Amino acid sequence: MIYLDHAAATPVSKKVLEKMTPYFSELFFNPSSPYLPAKTVREDFEHAKSVIANSIGAKGNDLVITSGATEANALAFTAVSSESRSGGAKILVLETEHASVLESVKRYPFELIKVDRTGLIDLSNLKNKLSENTELISVSLANNELGTIQPLAEIATILKEEKLRRLKNHNTTPLFLHSDASQGLSLLDINVARLGVDLLTLNAAKISGPKGVGALYISHEVRLKPFVNGGGQERGLRAGTENVAGVVGFAAAVEALKNHSASKRKKYMRLVENLKHELEGASIEPVFLGNKKSRLANFLPVSFPGLDAERLIYKLEERGVLVSTGAACAASKGEASHVLKAIGLSSEEIAGSLRISLGVLNTEENVEEAGRIIREVVDSEFERIKNDH
Amino acid sequence: MTTNNPQKTVFLGMSGGVDSSVSAVLLKNAGYKVVGVYMKNWSKNLPGMKCPWAEDLADAKRVATKLDIDFLVFDFEKAYKTKVVDYMLDEFKAGRTPNPDIMCNEEIKFKLFFEESLKRGADFIATGHYAKSEDRLLKLAKDENKDQTYFLYRISKESVEKTLFPLADLRKPEVKKLAKEFGLPNAFKKESMGICFVGDVNIKDFLREYIELKPGEIRDMETDKVLGFHDGAVFYTLGQRHGLNVGGGLPYYVVKKDLERNIVFVSKNLNEKDLWAKEIELENIFFRDATEQTEQNIRIRIRHRAPLIPAKFVFTDIKKLLGKVVLEEQIKKPAAGQSIVFYDDEICLGGGIVK
Repeated sequence: MIYLDHAAATPVSKKVLEKMTPYFSELFFNPSSPYLPAKTVREDFEHAKSVIANSIGAKGNDLVITSGATEANALAFTAVSSESRSGGAKILVLETEHASVLESVKRYPFELIKVDRTGLIDLSNLKNKLSENTELISVSLANNELGTIQPLAEIATILKEEKLRRLKNHNTTPLFLHSDASQGLSLLDINVARLGVDLLTLNAAKISGPKGVGALYISHEVRLKPFVNGGGQERGLRAGTENVAGVVGFAAAVEALKNHSASKRKKYMRLVENLKHELEGASIEPVFLGNKKSRLANFLPVSFPGLDAERLIYKLEERGVLVSTGAACAASKGEASHVLKAIGLSSEEIAGSLRISLGVLNTEENVEEAGRIIREVVDSEFERIKNDH
Repeated sequence: MTTNNPQKTVFLGMSGGVDSSVSAVLLKNAGYKVVGVYMKNWSKNLPGMKCPWAEDLADAKRVATKLDIDFLVFDFEKAYKTKVVDYMLDEFKAGRTPNPDIMCNEEIKFKLFFEESLKRGADFIATGHYAKSEDRLLKLAKDENKDQTYFLYRISKESVEKTLFPLADLRKPEVKKLAKEFGLPNAFKKESMGICFVGDVNIKDFLREYIELKPGEIRDMETDKVLGFHDGAVFYTLGQRHGLNVGGGLPYYVVKKDLERNIVFVSKNLNEKDLWAKEIELENIFFRDATEQTEQNIRIRIRHRAPLIPAKFVFTDIKKLLGKVVLEEQIKKPAAGQSIVFYDDEICLGGGIVK
């Protein structure tokens, strides 16, 4: 099997699993219990949180642990005030955001910000939609279907100017920047201060950590509303006995990333280039999607217009190559990807789109083999439709 | 399915399940040009109930791709809502217990799907039902335990003539074995047990979304004593044993519903006369081949998988399609709205709806 869908899920590494295991059995204690063994578990938990936080230039206390990115995104939106005001929307989100953002935001007055054909944010559209009532902007660090990396620092600068304007006008409405960094964490060096974000979503599942663990970084200025009430854990925002094993695993996965991103980026760039080259030899010309310059190095979103991507996926799976079309969540709802629609693809291009995302399970050899198999399947599918017409 | 010179085209309804998938292989192996069709009848998610349609569609398409047959999606959502779901809700609201699967076969699968398939060039349609189409007749499948003619008795004669049932002579265990032999990816898929279109959902949970709750009394049939309360008489079916919210001792059975007063009558007495009948009145009688006979000796099936039992059918008003079946012994009375299906030997003659 050759796995080319690391944007959907990653295998938990042996090292990570080893670190987690004791917390299911001998170190099972509730971190809030009063006796000493439990206190050790508490310390391990807090230490793990610090490791995760430090990797993005924050402190352990700045994080609220969640059940994953979806919950962290939903929690981030509680930053918005509850009183109603007339004029402009309170939240602006990018039209290509993940469903967890687009569905959560529906509870609030919101507007969508446009992207260009490569999936990059249209900054002038952002400026136009920004009003004195805007309280939160949500733009993912990298898109989960295209891998397009957004210029968060530039967005932050625009927001800074707006904040200044508000101060001059004695307008005290807060304005925060949230970003879902689920997809970027494994390859980008992330620092909350440099990015200029107030809220940042993290996800262990995409970096060879366990599923069901995520975190929301919260800057000191942001006040969130309690999300799950109970014993006051996680600053009272998200109560419930801590997922110690999960967080320890998350931290171990973060540690494993350290200092390797530059060499990994290079490796994936080379593999993606080879793959592109192979696919260009197919009998139907591939359309490579996303932004050439500003794209996660392990992403290769591609369309074979005229072909049926679902058929390609099933044919490829028979030959042991696993790829995906659009986001897994959107595909399981039977809907065409809103991301591919937003970047202006034709319905033929959307129907023929694959998302290839490389990762820890890939080597020069298996990517080369996968490329050959994809090309063969594409060629035979092309023959098939040619004979139909 | 044995003879097949110049290649004929079959449009096969594919649900993503084992039965229709095995049917696809059998048709293909028999030399037909097979076009798999997923009928999109319902895609709405209700609170807390995820409609399985997209996964079913993916399963069907995966099989079609593996077999290298063409695959289409027919969208019948609008018709399904009005012809099947609305009919079902109206019947329940009227205090009856309808069978949506029978309606779906009559109105959607063997009407819209049939017509659309012919329009697009099909010589035949096919489904993974356990039933037989032979000599222009609808007949029992070989697997008596799985036979699905109960759900098919109202489908048109012309559709039966042009329908292939590839599973007619196979038993379910053989079908499962074939699925494994053929390496079908869904060979181990669990059969859906809920309402066909919403997946594993209890019918009552579905109805709650559409029918207003209306609390009322549960009374003892013999003593008229109030035993408890229900949340809507329409949710209860004659003979039903569960969910009465009256605890303790022997189980209670629903023996009568008074919709006007919104009272459900129950009894512990299994011999309660309202639960049993020797004669069952029918309406909306449908004979697959028009008949002038006002009386005939037949076999009947009162629910899917129930045994075939001898009975005499009598037309009481042939114009109004009213009649009755007279049994040799008393049976537990089927609820109003349910179907009774008629057979002559292995031929499905038609049936009627309990009044």
